[in-house]
Amino acid sequence: MHTETIVDVEAFQMRFGDKEIIHDLSFSVNKGEIFGFLGANGAGKTTTIRALLNILQPTAGTLMVAGTRYSPSMAAMLGYLPEQRGLYRNEPILDTLTYFGVMHGLNWTDAKTRALKYLKQVDLAGKAKARFATLSGGEQQKVQLGSTIIHDPALLVLDEPTEALDPVNRALLLDLVTQHRDRGATVILVTHRLDEVEQLCERILILKDGVRAVYGHVDDVKKQFGGRALNDIFLSLHQKGAS
Amino acid sequence: MGRVRDVVRFDVIRTLKKKAFWFTSFAPPLIMLTIIGISYLSNQGGKNAGQEQAAAYARIAKIAVLDDSGLLNKRLLQSRKIALEPNIATGIAAVKSGRLDAFLYYPHDLVRGGVKVYARDMGITFSPSYNSAAVQLLRQSIVTTIARDISDRQALQILQQPPAVTAVTYRDGRSYNALAQMVAPGAFMVFFLTIVILLSATMISSTTEEKENRTAEILLTCARARTLVWGKILSIISLGLIQVSVIAIPLIIYLLLFPKTLTLPGGVSLAQIPLDPEKLLWALAFFIGGFIFFTTLVVGLGAMFPNANEAGRFLGIAMIWAYVPIYIVPLIINSPHAPMVTIFTYFPLTAPTTALLLNTVGALSPAEAIGSLAVILASISLAIPFAARSFRYGALEYGRRLGFREIWQRN
Repeated sequence: MHTETIVDVEAFQMRFGDKEIIHDLSFSVNKGEIFGFLGANGAGKTTTIRALLNILQPTAGTLMVAGTRYSPSMAAMLGYLPEQRGLYRNEPILDTLTYFGVMHGLNWTDAKTRALKYLKQVDLAGKAKARFATLSGGEQQKVQLGSTIIHDPALLVLDEPTEALDPVNRALLLDLVTQHRDRGATVILVTHRLDEVEQLCERILILKDGVRAVYGHVDDVKKQFGGRALNDIFLSLHQKGAS
Repeated sequence: MGRVRDVVRFDVIRTLKKKAFWFTSFAPPLIMLTIIGISYLSNQGGKNAGQEQAAAYARIAKIAVLDDSGLLNKRLLQSRKIALEPNIATGIAAVKSGRLDAFLYYPHDLVRGGVKVYARDMGITFSPSYNSAAVQLLRQSIVTTIARDISDRQALQILQQPPAVTAVTYRDGRSYNALAQMVAPGAFMVFFLTIVILLSATMISSTTEEKENRTAEILLTCARARTLVWGKILSIISLGLIQVSVIAIPLIIYLLLFPKTLTLPGGVSLAQIPLDPEKLLWALAFFIGGFIFFTTLVVGLGAMFPNANEAGRFLGIAMIWAYVPIYIVPLIINSPHAPMVTIFTYFPLTAPTTALLLNTVGALSPAEAIGSLAVILASISLAIPFAARSFRYGALEYGRRLGFREIWQRN
């Protein structure tokens, strides 16, 4: 069966000065799947995402989104939640969500309507005019996710989306991600949380020191490692001396 | 262009919603009006108090003189009830003992020796008027003496009070008031320096805020760095125009309603300010060019720093160059082609203010104007890609400052 891909990375290499961060990385993400992109801190996950989204220029290789190099003109199809994230602290959340909708291709009226709808969906309609800085941590995360999905993107790239979330908000966020996948969106989930990966992802890639260590369907990966849980596989890969 | 418009709309509207923006917009004209008002009331009050005090003093003061010059008019002294002292020592002793309020000594050679005043202290406001009283007495004595031989009343009046002078000067066969000519182009220079300082915080925070808020990385997936930087620049220019309007519109309305009420020092009425189209066009070009250059530079430099506080310290050094030419104003007026003025005219950071100053005093030749403007435009064309690169790569560096070399060398 032919599977249509939305992300294709081929022989990607990234160097910062003399230091090689990513070495000969190739993978693809299928349309409509939740793809787990794993690795320890400093493995090169964020660098790969930034290169994929054309924020950084790769040293070598090709990184394609929907068959072409990503450019801001494709913003309408992308929802990106970076690892280091935040929003305008002193602006009303409704204004911020509207602005991010507009920056992702919506017109101002449509963006505002969708922002209000989203705030209602996550029980923040009463705080539409509240400044971002006055919200609780969990509420801020909801708004942050809203700014990523308000335009209903075809590709969601979420870098550590559940970091610092309490269990309730974490469940809510993962539910929203699943809803998007169910509507046909593709999700790249960059995370350390292997339980989330087991729960949500069809396929995974584990990056170790800039090199692809594991890549494939979750069930196939488990089989490959003798039926062990993903957590054990991840730990064994990162034990001292493992290669 | 659509994205630029969206960035401008968001940035301008959210800034206009901030109280701080309106405070900084209204504060300078309000402070200026307050200072002028206080100064006027204080002068009026001081003048009235001084006059009342002087009148009272004249009625009650006990004054004596010793006239070795022979210039004092005896009748005048008598009419003023001013006594004569036999020598300096008795005069000083009389003041010390309190018998006299003031003893005035006019030596034989007044030109060299000058008048000596010995008086009871009456406080810092009033004590100096002993001196003017001493001179006034001498002056009136001389006029009274001379008046005996002069029949012309007007000549006498002129001797007592010099007449007002109205000068009409010409340049190239046409009436030319140098001071009046400076007003309109000078206003552009004042607006330029005012706007640069009023908007400096907005310029700095325009990019550091998005870095501090961690929104820059997301925005870079929605719009090119250059688009975002243009959006920032145009937002700041729009805000600058709003602030200029806040200051200028009330003044223009006032002038239209009461054209003859405002007069500048030198007797120049604001209603009669000459508007030289050539000078105004150059002033407008340097105002806009200089403002865009400083905005672009500050936006770019701001993106290099992790936060507004760190950026502010460094950017103050860059911004101060806009004000440095003020320190060579005497040189610009007296010697507009001095080497230092020429250097300042073509050095990018000082070019806008220097050219605006030269244009104000009427010493900017078309060749200098074109050359200086070319330098500013070239600087803008370098500053924009620098700002775009700085924003693009600076956005990803949250905890440290990027170096210039790093910004240019990254691919």
